Amino acid sequence: MAGQGLERREILRILAMAAAASGYPGFYRWSFACGHPGGAAIAPKPSSYAPRFFSVDEYATLEHLTQLIIPSDGTPGAREAGVSEFIDFMVSSDPGVQYRFRYGLTWLDAHAAELHGAPFRTLDDPKRNDLLGSLAYRDRYRDGEEEGRVFFKLIREYTLMGFYTSKIGLEQLDYPGLRIYLESPGCPHPDDPEHLHLPARKT
Amino acid sequence: MAAKTLEYDVIVIGTGAGGGMAIKTLCEAGLTVCALNSGRRLDPAKDFRNHRQPYDMVYRGFGDPRKRDRYYHIENEYTDGLWEHGITYTTAPGTSWEWPRCHAVGGKTNFWGRSAARMGDIDFKTATLDGGYDVDWPVSYDEIAPFYSRVERMIGVASTVQGRPSNPDGEYLPPMKLRCLDHILARGCDSLGIPYLPDRLAQLTVAHQGHPPCHYCGNCTEGCDTGSFFSTPWFFLPLAEKTGKLELRTNAVVRSVLANDDGRARGVAYVDRETKQEVEVYARAVVVAASCVESARILLNSTSRQWPNGLGNSSGQAGRNLCDHLYGTTGYGYLPQLLGQPSFPDNVSASQVVWMPRWQNLRSPREEKFIRGYSIYPTGGCGEFPWYHDQIEGFGSQLKRDIKRHYPTPVSFYCQIPSLPSATNYVDIDPEVKDQYGIPVVRVHFQWGPNELLMWEHAKQATASVIRSAGGQGWGAGKEPYTPGWSLHETGTLRMGNDPKRFVTNRLGQTHDVSNVFVCDASVFLGCTDKTTTLSILAFALRTSEHLLDRLRGREI
Repeated sequence: MAGQGLERREILRILAMAAAASGYPGFYRWSFACGHPGGAAIAPKPSSYAPRFFSVDEYATLEHLTQLIIPSDGTPGAREAGVSEFIDFMVSSDPGVQYRFRYGLTWLDAHAAELHGAPFRTLDDPKRNDLLGSLAYRDRYRDGEEEGRVFFKLIREYTLMGFYTSKIGLEQLDYPGLRIYLESPGCPHPDDPEHLHLPARKT
Repeated sequence: MAAKTLEYDVIVIGTGAGGGMAIKTLCEAGLTVCALNSGRRLDPAKDFRNHRQPYDMVYRGFGDPRKRDRYYHIENEYTDGLWEHGITYTTAPGTSWEWPRCHAVGGKTNFWGRSAARMGDIDFKTATLDGGYDVDWPVSYDEIAPFYSRVERMIGVASTVQGRPSNPDGEYLPPMKLRCLDHILARGCDSLGIPYLPDRLAQLTVAHQGHPPCHYCGNCTEGCDTGSFFSTPWFFLPLAEKTGKLELRTNAVVRSVLANDDGRARGVAYVDRETKQEVEVYARAVVVAASCVESARILLNSTSRQWPNGLGNSSGQAGRNLCDHLYGTTGYGYLPQLLGQPSFPDNVSASQVVWMPRWQNLRSPREEKFIRGYSIYPTGGCGEFPWYHDQIEGFGSQLKRDIKRHYPTPVSFYCQIPSLPSATNYVDIDPEVKDQYGIPVVRVHFQWGPNELLMWEHAKQATASVIRSAGGQGWGAGKEPYTPGWSLHETGTLRMGNDPKRFVTNRLGQTHDVSNVFVCDASVFLGCTDKTTTLSILAFALRTSEHLLDRLRGREI
């Protein structure tokens, strides 16, 4: 295939250009998690993050919540991917959701105080899991927690948005996009088009 | 006082598929062409961000939330700034209409869906087949087929020979390979008698006409910075510029086509978007190719003593019979066969590899409760973002594992349903409202009719059956179709026909009233079909451009 080598080089050149043109040096963990090809040029940020929208206490609760939703459990989780920073940035940019976040966090602490006499972030793991579990699983729903369920849906959605658009999250999925193929790759099971004899599934 | 400029052989309004074809054809024939485009020219290296990962974008590709309300559905952080927001439009009471327009040079060809099927006699002879609804197109497939072949050779379309008269075969590059999910869904379709075939995809599976082959990065709809699918800036404009005959004026917002005392066109008036100054430019002929609704707006706004109702509109038909494709999610679910499998390169073509071309009303035009027919596009597999997450409840390590396990499995289907031409679907000029350039805006009157909604119901049931028959699990379907205009496949408004009293343009795309005005976009089409519009715009525009050339050479205009 004469000429293909040159074309591939051209494509790589364009890719490198696009990568150099990108890069948003706004965050501590987030930009670190990005690992830009030109990342050396992005100065590391101080280790403490100053939230843009949330108060210090709210932000601490937010970090606990995102880490419960996508934990660091042998593979990196929300913390390593800088998800709380992403949420803080998105919420600070979006007046339309600010009330829902603030109200939800307030509801959560008030509810934790009512059940256990302390704010959510100071509860021990079983109590936190119990509280969140009743908001997250249909068969554990409790009366009077409708507003908490609405908030959990919101915070879970933003956590997944933040995690699965980070380099860490996309690598965990083994996201195949933005790779370059010389030929249309197609199904890797040419002998099994019915897909009845695929290799054993990982759990 | 408007600034006066040189005279050209032809002015072409618009640089998208139709305008681009006219520009190339006319320049290569040696004519001087002044092309007008309402926005700026793109630099693919800077303006296309398709090779950036979500985490390279400020808002991770979700876009600035403060702007989200004004984004069109096709617009996002990757294409921010390339879509028209400065020129407004209004809608009649009861009408919802989304009208995304790419004002960059090349128009929507920069980001198009690339599905490029030929229309056939099943589409052109539709009134005869339906027993008299509306009218047939004034052309036959035999007449248009050679133009389709030439266009396919110019742009490169990947597909297979499928031998279905309702989907005439063309001249194709090798097809894209089927993915795991395609093999599984194809078996489900086979058992139901529904076709599941490689799409006609204008995406280069091999190098073609000097353009490099696709590298399968999967972000086609954010623009292609290697030019591996057809767009006019990559394929046509460089050829036209090489002739030295083209002057491309950007940021030129066209107000009207100017008429002589004898009623013939003498040029075009436009407003320079940057200086806000009005400019007039003159030529022997004018090609209107601003895209369906905008082209109608320009002619309706081209009023003069000779043309009080708009230039070329003695029939009163300009703006009438606006048609669109009803798009919607007819179903989504997942394929348990693929649970827990490693990720596959599924979104190599922005997920568009196959389609389920019209299978309804083929043996007899009255098999179904609706007339005509529709197509479905399946998508799915390992996409960028796990949109299916809301189907999985909970949190913690189990949620992480479940999202990963489902990653290769999701499938989603959307329909392409043609609306029937209707007297109540049309555009006119809003008598009250002008845009920021002082040009009266267009007002849209449009609603889905019962035939479209019957197809929508049919498509949802068919999709559920396909998912089931393939061994999949359904999750749901769209509650209602997307807003009209969503497909970006508007047709009608300057329809072609032999009777000057009923049609704006003749069978060759020339206006009946004004012999030196030609229309090269989907506004000349009689309506939508189950196929997309771009390939047909190119074929009809090629034919119209050559007709124009003959008339100019014969000094008939």
